[in-house]
Amino acid sequence: MSKSYQAIVVGAGPAGSSAALTMARAGLDVALVERGSFPGEKNMFGGVLHRMPSLEKIFPDFWERAPLERHIVKKGVTFMTGESCFSTTIEAGNYDRPPYNGYTIFRPSFDRWLADEAVAAGATLITRATVDDVVRKDGRISGVSIVGRSGQLHAPVVVAADGVLSFTAQKAGLRKATFDPAQMAVGVKALIDMPREMIDDRFGLVRDQGFANEFVGCTEGVRGGGFLYTNYDSLSVGLVFHLASLRTSGKTPYDLLNAFLEQPQMAKMVCGGRLQEYSAHLIPEGGYDMIPELVGDGILVTGDAAAFCNATGLNLEGINLASHSGVVAGEAVIAAHRAGDFSRYGLSSYKKMLEESFVIKDLKLFRNAPHMLHNNRIYQEYPEMMCSFMENIYKIEGAPKQSVTRQFLKSAKEKVGLGKLLADGFSAWRSL
Amino acid sequence: MNIDEIFDNTSFTIDREAHIVLDYDVCTGCDNRGCVNSCPARCYSWSEDEQKMTFVHDGCLECGTCYVVCHRNAFTRWRYPRGGFGVAYRMT
Ligand SMILES: Cc1cc2nc3c(=O)[nH]c(=O)nc-3n(C[C@H](O)[C@H](O)[C@H](O)COP(=O)(O)OP(=O)(O)OC[C@H]3O[C@@H](n4cnc5c(N)ncnc54)[C@H](O)[C@@H]3O)c2cc1C
Ligand code: SF4
Ligand code: SF4
Repeated sequence: MSKSYQAIVVGAGPAGSSAALTMARAGLDVALVERGSFPGEKNMFGGVLHRMPSLEKIFPDFWERAPLERHIVKKGVTFMTGESCFSTTIEAGNYDRPPYNGYTIFRPSFDRWLADEAVAAGATLITRATVDDVVRKDGRISGVSIVGRSGQLHAPVVVAADGVLSFTAQKAGLRKATFDPAQMAVGVKALIDMPREMIDDRFGLVRDQGFANEFVGCTEGVRGGGFLYTNYDSLSVGLVFHLASLRTSGKTPYDLLNAFLEQPQMAKMVCGGRLQEYSAHLIPEGGYDMIPELVGDGILVTGDAAAFCNATGLNLEGINLASHSGVVAGEAVIAAHRAGDFSRYGLSSYKKMLEESFVIKDLKLFRNAPHMLHNNRIYQEYPEMMCSFMENIYKIEGAPKQSVTRQFLKSAKEKVGLGKLLADGFSAWRSL
Repeated sequence: MNIDEIFDNTSFTIDREAHIVLDYDVCTGCDNRGCVNSCPARCYSWSEDEQKMTFVHDGCLECGTCYVVCHRNAFTRWRYPRGGFGVAYRMT
């Protein structure tokens, strides 16, 4: 059976639900199509939900409405070797007062909630529906077809919000047929059950306070890093690997994850916990240079489907960019309906609004970060250098001391090489 | 975390129809096999003795790694499972 709508959104992640919500609130008849049996069933991330400017505007009480876990008051970075680690943390009073700087969340509850808000605003949510192709009429996109169902869904405009692999954008000819492994990363995560009091005591937290820590040096030389985030009564612990590096390493994500969990200092942090769930997902990490065509005749691309992820090394931003681009896509569709023009020209306000927003501006600013992060030394030699330098600084063993500069140079020479250190410092400075 | 016990931790509604179908002939002549070590669910295994690739879609986490890592496009089909099938995360 075929059905017609004023707009179709493929994928009920943060991008898709934000788009559907925006359009439904403006009175458009919009279908939100999701392959999971509920929105969020298929989605995993680290993760920390950062500030959400566009949804905060739609819901002034966003932070009271959304299903959240702990707010992050403490952020840390750990340089790790097989048996040592050197950490820095920042805990700020401002992080402990609204507006909070970030929350841990669970995707199956957050994504479901956001889709429900779109439905409450009038959107039609169609779950258990995997879109497998776009429908064309007179050379433009006019709907989608669904695996195993005979009818099609029709609309003058389709929003591709189907995430990192976006087959919808591919079928519409907007993204390249193949991906470059150098522009992709995979994250694996262990969700570890742990009593709330144990988490509070172990990480120095009270009330609903949370801790978010990133790790470098925990991937046995594979380009990537690790994370540990606190939920109310569980920890999210995982690793992220650049695919170009992982595929030639011969190492497996689960063996590396196990080694990470068993590293002596890490083992103390997860001790007493129980594995609840194991998950994996891709991250588009190519930045600005990875962005596909964003607009076609009768179609817009948003969120991860458009590679709107900002991975600078210390933070990973995706949901905020996805949601903002979804809202902007919704606004562009509303404008196109008013003008009755769904061609790429009629929809072009989408690109303009994005270019004026933090989404494109930030991706442009960090355009060179992906190149810097492809430096293999960051993932092994530098963490070793940091740990050996700090270890020596605190060593008091009755032998005459060396100046701090000398000790630093000694660690640097042993672990990295001075010429490389200078070159890397220079390229890091240039790309950030 | 024991990858052989993935079904104890992560929930799946397994479809009899595979959403990923491999052309094994392409794999036999492959010079890389990055899929074997990169797949986070160990769905790919290569037998050196038999010179044979085995792929099982049951525990697939639908992450997309193999789709990106395979440089020979060995897939006669690579799509997400039919609606309602495949991995079902509860709280990740
Ligand atoms: C390990 C990891 C850690 C991360 N950490 C963070 C973090 O800390 N903070 C942060 O902000 N971001 C983080 N991200 C990034 C963030 O998760 C993404 O940027 C964000 O989810 C993108 O939202 P989206 O709506 O564009 O896509 P998705 O969330 O992927 O949603 C796409 C939706 O489309 C559906 N779908 C796909 N194909 C079809 C189809 N053919 N038919 C129907 N439905 C379909 C999917 O089921 C899904 O519901 C992380 C990602 C990973 C993998
Ligand atoms: S990389 Fe591709 S061709 Fe090579 S073994 Fe894996 S699936 Fe087969
Ligand atoms: S999609 Fe991911 S989990 Fe599934 S077979 Fe490919 S690499 Fe393995």
